[in-house]
Amino acid sequence: MPEQSPSPGDDLVQALVDDEIRGDVAPDEATIHTAAVEAGPEIERLKERKGKGLGFSAWLAIGWLAMIVILGFAAPILPIPDPVADATPALARQGPSADHIMGLDGSGRDVFSRVIWGMRNSLFIGAVSVLIGLVVGGSLGVISGYFKGRLGGFIGASLDVLLAFPPLILALSIVTFLGRTVPNVTLSLAIVSIPVLARIARASTLSWSEREFVLAARAQGAKHFRIMRREILPNVLPAMFSIALLGIAVVIVAEGGLAIIGAGVKPDVTTWGNIIVSGQGDLRDASHIVLFPSFCIFFTVLALNFLGDVVRAKFDVRESSL
Amino acid sequence: MRTILIKLVRLVIVVWIITLFSFTLIKLTGGNNDLVSKIIPFGSEQQKDILREDLGLQDPFFTQYFRWLGDFLTGDFGNIYTPNPQPVSETLAEALPVSLELMIYAQVLALLIAIPLGVATAYRNGTKFDRGTNTIAFGLLALPNFVVALLLAIYVGAKWGWLPTQSNLIPFPLNPIDNWQYMLMPTIALALGQIAIYMRLLRSDMIATLQEDFTTTAKAKGIPTRRVLFRHALRPSSLTLLTVAGLNVGALIGGAVVVERIFNLPGIGSRLTEAILAQQYVAVQSYVALIAIFYILINFFVDVLYTVLDPRIRHARAVA
Repeated sequence: MPEQSPSPGDDLVQALVDDEIRGDVAPDEATIHTAAVEAGPEIERLKERKGKGLGFSAWLAIGWLAMIVILGFAAPILPIPDPVADATPALARQGPSADHIMGLDGSGRDVFSRVIWGMRNSLFIGAVSVLIGLVVGGSLGVISGYFKGRLGGFIGASLDVLLAFPPLILALSIVTFLGRTVPNVTLSLAIVSIPVLARIARASTLSWSEREFVLAARAQGAKHFRIMRREILPNVLPAMFSIALLGIAVVIVAEGGLAIIGAGVKPDVTTWGNIIVSGQGDLRDASHIVLFPSFCIFFTVLALNFLGDVVRAKFDVRESSL
Repeated sequence: MRTILIKLVRLVIVVWIITLFSFTLIKLTGGNNDLVSKIIPFGSEQQKDILREDLGLQDPFFTQYFRWLGDFLTGDFGNIYTPNPQPVSETLAEALPVSLELMIYAQVLALLIAIPLGVATAYRNGTKFDRGTNTIAFGLLALPNFVVALLLAIYVGAKWGWLPTQSNLIPFPLNPIDNWQYMLMPTIALALGQIAIYMRLLRSDMIATLQEDFTTTAKAKGIPTRRVLFRHALRPSSLTLLTVAGLNVGALIGGAVVVERIFNLPGIGSRLTEAILAQQYVAVQSYVALIAIFYILINFFVDVLYTVLDPRIRHARAVA
């Protein structure tokens, strides 16, 4: 790697800015967030580690994520009180103790149990909405990058309209008008993530579809679908995967934001965002209610951001994608 | 000129689609009766009939849409039908300045801190200072603005009592000091994440610029380092930063809505939240459309500014 080459985030921003100038695609904040995560020196240090294993920080991040995924899955069988029904109002707002290691909330519900159930629901919303974004956005992006003509232009223009909304505003309007349920929140955040992932896939496809092996496949008479699936998709995936990890982080944060402005899931479903909302009235006397879920969000986002960098460094996405 | 004209046409089309989308949203709530009884749950049958009439719900979809669009374009954004009804346009007059003030403060604060930090870390690339700053910034990127807001509200506001949290916001012209006291925590909550974004992007751009020949020449001529950094290197590096700062207004709007809610700042975000919680769908629809159009206009402005600033500068750098 030549030393004067700018760091990887730079390329992403460069692509973003160039696209912006050409008027090809509309801007979006998630790409900026991604670029900022990847613009730092961390990724260079990660690249230096190549062939040396993952390193302590990466294992710490994986460990944290594995823990919350397992706890989230196991929530129904864990010996913890019910996050909504089991309440001891007499002990409301009590701080952490041996019986309730994260204390009790304003209705006397166990905050630890609520945080575990919050993992389950917040991670579900994050993972499923990004998965939908990955499948739908990825397909749209690859198709619009491969067929550059009218079809590509049409898809691109449609995505532009979605990107013309500030993401949180788009999500809140969908949830408000469709109803505050888990599927609707997931759907709204999926709709927000589709154009973001589509543009990455599109940019990546645009550069890959010019390559010799694609030409060779075409010369051999391969069908469009086969070329997209066998030649382009495997090359586009690493970049998509790295950004999807960051996307889950963005969505988990967005869920919290939606809950705070009253456009999240109804309060009877325990999510990290809803736990924070339930503690907002008790900031002075029972700050533990908002602090524990806040820390969970922070560490989860940190771990996902870091792993996004690890994936990028491992696959050397920079050279292959943008 | 031609490119700007094309952009203008695109702008008009996108704004039109946005209004169509915003108008369609309200139809997702269910039938007309559903909508009316959600907006005025305790209204009498007679009141509901009046509201139905007022919203023109019996008309075909496009008749309704164009009437709504006509009203919207002439500044009639519908009403809030709570026990003390109010036109949406009236709430805007009070709320808009607060939101704009918050966003401008946050943007200015973020840039004021991020630019020197970005320049300094790029210049000291690889040193302990660089690594330390970047590690902190990496942490800040993972800190959602509402978590910062809550931490400030808990400690600085509630526990230590340094700054007021219950907001009786005083307009800046009346008493700047009081105004800033209320604005300080929301501004910090909104700016912190942006600082990390801007600093890291500027840093990576600056590192590239500092390796170019003209910076070496400037250094060789004996120009003081500070001058080389801020006069010679910052300018070509800041184009990306300015673009990103413009595009980032979307994040700023979303963040402002959440932060206003936490600190009870009487801005558009609080109004929007109140409208959502009170199921005032007509008002929500107008706020959403207004915010989206504001965002598009900002992007359009940044875009045009960029064209005016001569894109050749950028492309020359892209090749280098």
